[in-house]
Amino acid sequence: MIVGSQKPIDEIWDMVKEFKRVIVFGCNTCVAICHAGGSKEAETIASMLKMRSSNEGVDMDVSSTSVMRHCEPEYFDEVIDELRSYDLVLSTACGVGVNFLSERIGNIPVYPGINTSFFGAVPEAGVFEELCAGCGDCILHMTGGICPVARCSKTLMNGPCGGTNEGKCEIGKDVDCAWYLIVQRMKDLGTIEKLSEVIPPRSWSTSRDGGPRRVSVEHIREYEESAEQKTEAGGSK
Amino acid sequence: MAEDNTTALNEPYRPYGADIKETRPYSPCRAACPAHTDVQAYVGLIAQGKYTEAFEVITSVNPIASVCSMICHHPCEQACRRCGVDEPLAVRHLKRFAIERSQDYRRAKRKLTKKTRGKSIGVIGSGPSGLTAANDLASLGYDVTIYERHPVLGGMLASAIPPYRLPREMLNEDIDDVISKGINVKTGFEIGRDRKLEDLMKDHDGIVIAIGLSQSRSLNIPGVEGDGVLLAIPFLEDVAFDRKPDLGKKVLVIGGGNVAMDVARTARRMGVKDVSMVCLESAEEMPAWKWEIDEAIEEGVTIDNRWGPKAVKRENGKVQGLEVVKVNSVFDDKGRFNPSFDDKTTKIIEADTIIITIGQMSNMSFLKDGPVKLDERGLIQWDRDTHMSSASNVFVAGEVVTGPGSAIAAVASGHRAAMALHLYLQGEEIKGNLPEHEKDKIDQLPGKVVDLLDREQRQEIKHLPPEVRCDTFTHFEIGYDEAEALKEAGRCRGCGGGAVVDPNRCMACLTCLRVCPYGAPKVFAVSEIRPEYCQACGLCAPECPGQAISMVSYDVNEIRSSMPDIIGKRDPKRSDPVIAAFLCTHHTGVGGFNVPGNIRTIPVHCISRVDVLDVLSAFSNGADGVAVIRCADGSCKYKGVAKRVSSRIGRARELLSMLGIENERTEMLTASSTNGNRYSSVCTEFSEKIKELGLRSS
Ligand SMILES: Cc1cc2nc3c(=O)[nH]c(=O)nc-3n(C[C@H](O)[C@H](O)[C@H](O)COP(=O)(O)OP(=O)(O)OC[C@H]3O[C@@H](n4cnc5c(N)ncnc54)[C@H](O)[C@@H]3O)c2cc1C
Ligand code: SF4
Ligand code: SF4
Ligand code: SF4
Repeated sequence: MIVGSQKPIDEIWDMVKEFKRVIVFGCNTCVAICHAGGSKEAETIASMLKMRSSNEGVDMDVSSTSVMRHCEPEYFDEVIDELRSYDLVLSTACGVGVNFLSERIGNIPVYPGINTSFFGAVPEAGVFEELCAGCGDCILHMTGGICPVARCSKTLMNGPCGGTNEGKCEIGKDVDCAWYLIVQRMKDLGTIEKLSEVIPPRSWSTSRDGGPRRVSVEHIREYEESAEQKTEAGGSK
Repeated sequence: MAEDNTTALNEPYRPYGADIKETRPYSPCRAACPAHTDVQAYVGLIAQGKYTEAFEVITSVNPIASVCSMICHHPCEQACRRCGVDEPLAVRHLKRFAIERSQDYRRAKRKLTKKTRGKSIGVIGSGPSGLTAANDLASLGYDVTIYERHPVLGGMLASAIPPYRLPREMLNEDIDDVISKGINVKTGFEIGRDRKLEDLMKDHDGIVIAIGLSQSRSLNIPGVEGDGVLLAIPFLEDVAFDRKPDLGKKVLVIGGGNVAMDVARTARRMGVKDVSMVCLESAEEMPAWKWEIDEAIEEGVTIDNRWGPKAVKRENGKVQGLEVVKVNSVFDDKGRFNPSFDDKTTKIIEADTIIITIGQMSNMSFLKDGPVKLDERGLIQWDRDTHMSSASNVFVAGEVVTGPGSAIAAVASGHRAAMALHLYLQGEEIKGNLPEHEKDKIDQLPGKVVDLLDREQRQEIKHLPPEVRCDTFTHFEIGYDEAEALKEAGRCRGCGGGAVVDPNRCMACLTCLRVCPYGAPKVFAVSEIRPEYCQACGLCAPECPGQAISMVSYDVNEIRSSMPDIIGKRDPKRSDPVIAAFLCTHHTGVGGFNVPGNIRTIPVHCISRVDVLDVLSAFSNGADGVAVIRCADGSCKYKGVAKRVSSRIGRARELLSMLGIENERTEMLTASSTNGNRYSSVCTEFSEKIKELGLRSS
């Protein structure tokens, strides 16, 4: 899931202080799970903003609401009119949500209430770990299921650098060396000889270097399109 | 307490969550009560010092609550989930306590109901079932008349149950509540003798027959006719109406049920030192409640088990004793009552008076050949689903049709009959629309949860010592004082009042599953909180990032909405800081808790409920300092609260410091529940500290 973290209130205040009517808009999926931007945190930020505005003597009307997800348009339906009655939407969804809502809401600014950090797992309550970088060309079958793109500080593809030190990365004692983990894991799996295969230079066009990415699941799209045609044919639209 | 509630006198009080509860399995105590009294709700209210609210919950389903607080056989206690931990809650004694504390309130509340229906109802018999039916029908707007053959109302409660168990003042409080609705009363009026049923049916639009089982059964053995042999009910009636018969020196009671115990113990109180009982059953098989037997034995009554009556021995007509024959067995292999005797083994038990207490029946002579048909056994023909007799506007309630049971079961039957008659007069379908007998209930506590709960001794009720109580008909139980009642109410686990998840808000994040100390949540597509595990502590609700969790028995948002009123206006020229103190209701609601005016106490079910947002809200409403006061280890009835709440306070401090509010202004403090003063001194000490730190200007 997508992991986010809250912004300091000073930073948020600088963003919102010019606006009279502000709504903090929470997303109840990924960022709720990581306790950054769900309905409860949206209410907390709203409450902080109310206190801040009254401290500053600024007359500001702040409220909060939330929906299940900000990344699919149907979820907005119930609240979009309400959102439009504000001067600013402070979204506590991930950046996807901020972009997505900005495109749909009309002439009302949507600002980010949190920082979108990465996508990761929850090894224990309250801890979130980045395990995948979403590079678009997965090679985990060659690296024992451990991703060198996300977890090697230098994104090395064919073994560790000289900075590997007793399982740790040279950038810091608390950072595991991804290649150390890969070697251990592949030994355990009995697949270590696979590592002698050289991973050819990668095409980064599937990653950030190829511009904004888009995945289209054609069989689902086809279904959607035919459903659209049907309703059009039935004249119910 | 009474004056606090005077404004609410006209609106019936509904406990929080009453509607949700109807859709969920009942707590076992509530399911076991024939009238489905919401025990969990009222015990919870008592624990918070809300005695009149508790009274409202009790009386909303039970018009003879005072009576039940004295004599109910309390099936709720037998079903209580605490039985799996140590001992059941003392529900009946708590009921008595709440009722005693609400006496002024209930008297002030009595008022006529409007007769809006333009229809009249005659109720025959004024026992629990008749009183209940009359009460309900009057509340629904009917013009109700009760016909009672005895000089007073109350049925067996007034005429048979001895006053050492049921003081008549208590019964009369209940009767006054009912009658004050504007019910017409005709006592000393026997249907059949003073007016025929057929005529009564012309006087009214509907009739409820609630005549109970007011005749004793006798034995068909030689010598039974004549002086010196009495029947239980006439004997108890004679005592109740002050026509005390002469019993001689030795009394023998035949029978082993609860009525037999009452008869024997009544004889003891009439000055007879030598009272014995004889019954077919062994000590274990006796139908009387164990506590009744123990109390009788304490009072010096002796019991001869496994003997059957054979003949009454008389000399010159005067009773000498009872010849009895040894019992081999009482029940056959199929468990049916079918006694067999060893005819060779007999003996004579000496007695001056023999009282036969082997069961009761109704006097149906007034129904013979009338519109209400009897079956081949002489019992009224009726439809259990509609409470209707063979005559369409004559309904039946109570023991006359259900057979012997308890007062509260007769109440439940009265409710059903009243509702049935009401539906009938409205022309609506009766079947399927009456209060149900059986309700789904929460399972007993899982072993895993039992292991986590502290053992806490039940607060035993004191009795007058046997030497004293046998000389008098005064009530022998001494009720709880406030400290005892609060302690006992605090033992309740609040079954069924716990967490529920709104599936539209849950994103299956697992937080509740990780937080719950009792393993109640299971998360599939969404979280499902299992009521048999949940202890209603409330720890999970504030942690849920989707705000999907609410509590059945209390409002998790109440704190924030009531905060502005509690904190009130802040005086800019104040010299003392305004302190918001979150305290567990189980300690602030009760008498003797006092803090200086600058400390605004915010009662919470448990501090487990206090959230980051609540602390923020206290400051944003103007508090100079916020104290969350936890109960010392061992006195909190839940697990793991302190640790969680202190991390929430850490988070609140972090956020508040971003707004320039110092960490010292938010504190978690500890007090002990056994000492109410400690709570207030902890608050005052904190207030002093904040004073030194200075008052907030913004
Ligand atoms: C000695 C004794 C002890 C008991 N102890 C307990 C106890 O501890 N706990 C408990 O829960 N239950 C106890 N019970 C049972 C309880 O009293 C009954 O369950 C309850 O009273 C039944 O209520 P009812 O309304 O059906 O009938 P009843 O209470 O019997 O009332 C029927 C009324 O109808 C009147 N009546 C009859 N015929 C006519 C007529 N023709 N015209 C006018 N009026 C008429 C009778 O006089 C009587 O007042 C006890 C019963 C007895 C006898
Ligand atoms: S613990 Fe309380 S709610 Fe639970 S069964 Fe016992 S009396 Fe009822
Ligand atoms: S904490 Fe809330 S959102 Fe998370 S699983 Fe439990 S109920 Fe669902
Ligand atoms: S945390 Fe408390 S209220 Fe929540 S499910 Fe567990 S026992 Fe119930």
